[in-house]
Amino acid sequence: MLAKYLVRRVLATIPVVIGVTLITFLVMHVTAGSYIPGVDLNPALKPEDIEAIKRYLGLDRPLYIQYLTWLGGIVHGDFGRSMIDGSLVSRHIFDRLPATLELTTTAILLGVLISIPLGVTGALRRGSKIDYALTAMSVGGFAIPAFWLGLMLILLFSVQFQAWGLPFLPSGGVMTPGTQGGDLLDRLVHLLLPATVLSFVYLSIWSRFTRSSMLEVLSQDYVRTARAKGMSERRVVYLHALRNAVIPLVTLVGLELPALVSGGLVVEVVFSWPGIGKLLYERAIQTDYTTVLGITTFAALLVVLGNLLADILYAVLDPRIRYA
Amino acid sequence: MISPIPLEGEVAVEPVERGRPGKSYWQESWERLRLNRLGIAAGLVLVFFILVAITSPILAALFTHTDYRTIDLANTFARPLSAGHILGTDDLGRDELTRLLFGAQVSMGIGFLSVFVALTVGATVGLVAGFYGGLIDGLLMRFVDMILAIPAIFLFILMALLFKPNAITLALIIASVGWGSIARLVRGEVLSVRTRDFMVATKALGASDLRLIGRHLLPNVLHVLIVYGSLYLGQVILIEAALDFLGLGITPPTPSWGNMLTNSETFFFHSSWLVVWPGITIFLSVLAANLFGNALRDAFDPRLR
Amino acid sequence: MAKTVLAVHDLKTQFFTREGVVKAVDGVSFELDAGETLGIVGESGSGKSVTALSIMRLVPRPGRIVNGYVKLKDQDLTKLTEAEMQEVRGESIAMIFQDPMTSLNPVFRVGWQVAEPLVVHAEKKRPSALRDGVAMLKKVGIPNPDQRAKDFPHQFSGGMRQRAMIAMGLTTMPSVLIADEPTTALDVTIQAQILELLRDVNREFGTATILITHNLGVVAGMCQRVLVMYAGRIVESGPTEDVFAHPQHPYTWSLLKSIPRLDADRHEPLRPISGIPPDLLDVPPGCAFHPRCTFRVDRCSRDVPQLQRVGETQLAACWVTQAGTNLNA
Repeated sequence: MLAKYLVRRVLATIPVVIGVTLITFLVMHVTAGSYIPGVDLNPALKPEDIEAIKRYLGLDRPLYIQYLTWLGGIVHGDFGRSMIDGSLVSRHIFDRLPATLELTTTAILLGVLISIPLGVTGALRRGSKIDYALTAMSVGGFAIPAFWLGLMLILLFSVQFQAWGLPFLPSGGVMTPGTQGGDLLDRLVHLLLPATVLSFVYLSIWSRFTRSSMLEVLSQDYVRTARAKGMSERRVVYLHALRNAVIPLVTLVGLELPALVSGGLVVEVVFSWPGIGKLLYERAIQTDYTTVLGITTFAALLVVLGNLLADILYAVLDPRIRYA
Repeated sequence: MISPIPLEGEVAVEPVERGRPGKSYWQESWERLRLNRLGIAAGLVLVFFILVAITSPILAALFTHTDYRTIDLANTFARPLSAGHILGTDDLGRDELTRLLFGAQVSMGIGFLSVFVALTVGATVGLVAGFYGGLIDGLLMRFVDMILAIPAIFLFILMALLFKPNAITLALIIASVGWGSIARLVRGEVLSVRTRDFMVATKALGASDLRLIGRHLLPNVLHVLIVYGSLYLGQVILIEAALDFLGLGITPPTPSWGNMLTNSETFFFHSSWLVVWPGITIFLSVLAANLFGNALRDAFDPRLR
Repeated sequence: MAKTVLAVHDLKTQFFTREGVVKAVDGVSFELDAGETLGIVGESGSGKSVTALSIMRLVPRPGRIVNGYVKLKDQDLTKLTEAEMQEVRGESIAMIFQDPMTSLNPVFRVGWQVAEPLVVHAEKKRPSALRDGVAMLKKVGIPNPDQRAKDFPHQFSGGMRQRAMIAMGLTTMPSVLIADEPTTALDVTIQAQILELLRDVNREFGTATILITHNLGVVAGMCQRVLVMYAGRIVESGPTEDVFAHPQHPYTWSLLKSIPRLDADRHEPLRPISGIPPDLLDVPPGCAFHPRCTFRVDRCSRDVPQLQRVGETQLAACWVTQAGTNLNA
């Protein structure tokens, strides 16, 4: 039954994949046409040279052929070439992916590990001072611009700590320049600030969500049953109730899986973190359309994949869906 | 940046009554809202920012006696509370407070325009999809799925790159993604309203589709739009500030709260207040919009408390 | 004289709400003998479920037990620490609830849920606890229990779930089983099966049972003794047969008149009870039932009647019958 559900769910993503690639492709062509930056500024290029460049980039062929070529490439992991230097977008992506994953997985893990106990505490102590403090933190956290929070943390822990002669944290990068990255502690120290900023946003949302989900579950009859069975309060909360309360949270976290790639863009820029987001930003500043398009498509496909994984995870966790 | 949808599950509000919300429904909601002190305070802060945005040239003329473009290279990085500059000056000697006042124009203007466009488009698509169902619904909603599948921040950057935006195009760019989640929300609401007795009865009386949608469905989803509009405003302000910060939105010399932070690492070391002020205004306006949205939601549906 | 397993004395449970204090249980006393089945009857809001939850010390906030004791054998449950109480729940007293659809945890396998009290209370190893759980599922009449134990609750029908709930309560061989409206949410045919099962359980394990219901028919078929509750108080108690034959409280009397009976001697008209159940925030003075009572006298709206012996075997809290008036004449 699970297999059948999975097959159905996987098949349903195919039109979305086609649609998403079509949208990114069309956005590109409708707006930018076959414009190649820099070409018209170069007086040395003759019209036939420009034609040759267009041919090389496949821009002379009919639109649908271009799309199909584009789609065919994607299937083989080819997200096109840079308009500026002709380099493979996929190579850039895979160069930068590890740094991004290092940052975002840490942030998501931190977010989950901290938000669940915070949400549970809020639910159990509903209406208490702690609950109000957590709520205020969450509402506030949701309104803080991530890039500003990053700047403020750099200001405090890098700039001011240094000024005060205290041990200070690096303001950017994955590792101390010149090292090979073999020093784990050095990497962790670099990771600390950006991961904190990124996880703060998740924390605000997920702790609230866990709280309301937990409140709902705690009022369910089966929680009363568990109490009537003489289960300890800890077992009731952390086994019987939490197991149910995290199911919707899994979907929410699953929806953030695509953020593994895109979620850290602003934070990556602030902390000079050489990840995918920073790559996209750098290329955007250089008006390298094709690279931006390639990365965007790659990220969009990850979103589709993330949604799929979230659904599957949901089905695995919730027997009502698994055996429906 | 996370998806621009704040806590989607918590937004879904339902009117307390079964039929079309009558006058008393809106009155009761208003009564509840009035008693929510935090919500009213948030609303007032929001009104304050709107007024500042509208009157910023006057305020500048009256209080700071300078224009946001006035460069004074002899007086760069003046400290806060120094002569004539309450909040100090920036790297070009421009008055920080004046620039903050004009920055409100950008944030509020783009914010409200974007919310208006996204709500209008989103509500229309949601109403049509929910009302007609079937193929129309399927196509529209799949399209929404696709739009929302592309990471919003990447799409914003892509479009900002292609359009070289001014304030209006920037608002449209942001709205071009935001309408999707509103359409989803409205459609869901319509589906629950559509089957209620009064809709069936009105249909049986031979009302036209347009009348059914406009006169009967819309009032039933209006409260959802109002709540979501307020929450979405906060998101737009955040997104817009981030794009400005990245140099892909409103660019200098026009001051915006986002682009005032763009090269802040260059003056971190000696003028940290320049990093603090714009962040606080962004934070306060977003916080006000979110809190007001929450208060509206609680007022419309007290059961969710 | 049978041995008393559970004694409740002057129990008062109140809910401290913003609108005022709700006296959900207001001075309830009764005893439960080993092996007997005791019925508690009343409308919703009469305090019967809160009485059960008070015995279990599971009264939800803002409710609190403010007076009285609950003695299980010689142990005063109201004095136990929460940890000690957890040992009592599920081990000495088991409770099953009204809605089997929502009372089982949807994310755990039924067999595991049934075996859980054994793992926690009897400290059995998981495999042996699961074996005992399967055996208990078999005893409560679940076909193919080995396989069904691996199912999740939503794969069970309502009746099956209630059987599983009963099995879950019985694994630790409790001396008291409290069944709170165990059949209300079920189809009529399934109701009969579940009641039959409860009767068998009572016979086979000797478990003293408190059966809470609003259905007088269920009480008639199941219980040796019955308590009738109204507005948080017991208004009448006695052997089921006697209470049904000649009720000594007007409320019981009206309840019996309001249900159709196949064995009615003559064609008596059905009489619904007039008026509405009392608002527990604003209980009428005197006897709480007096506004709806056809027998009331002046005193009823002034003084609260206490439960006293009326007739051979019954107790009733009614000024009218205590003065010797026969309701059934």
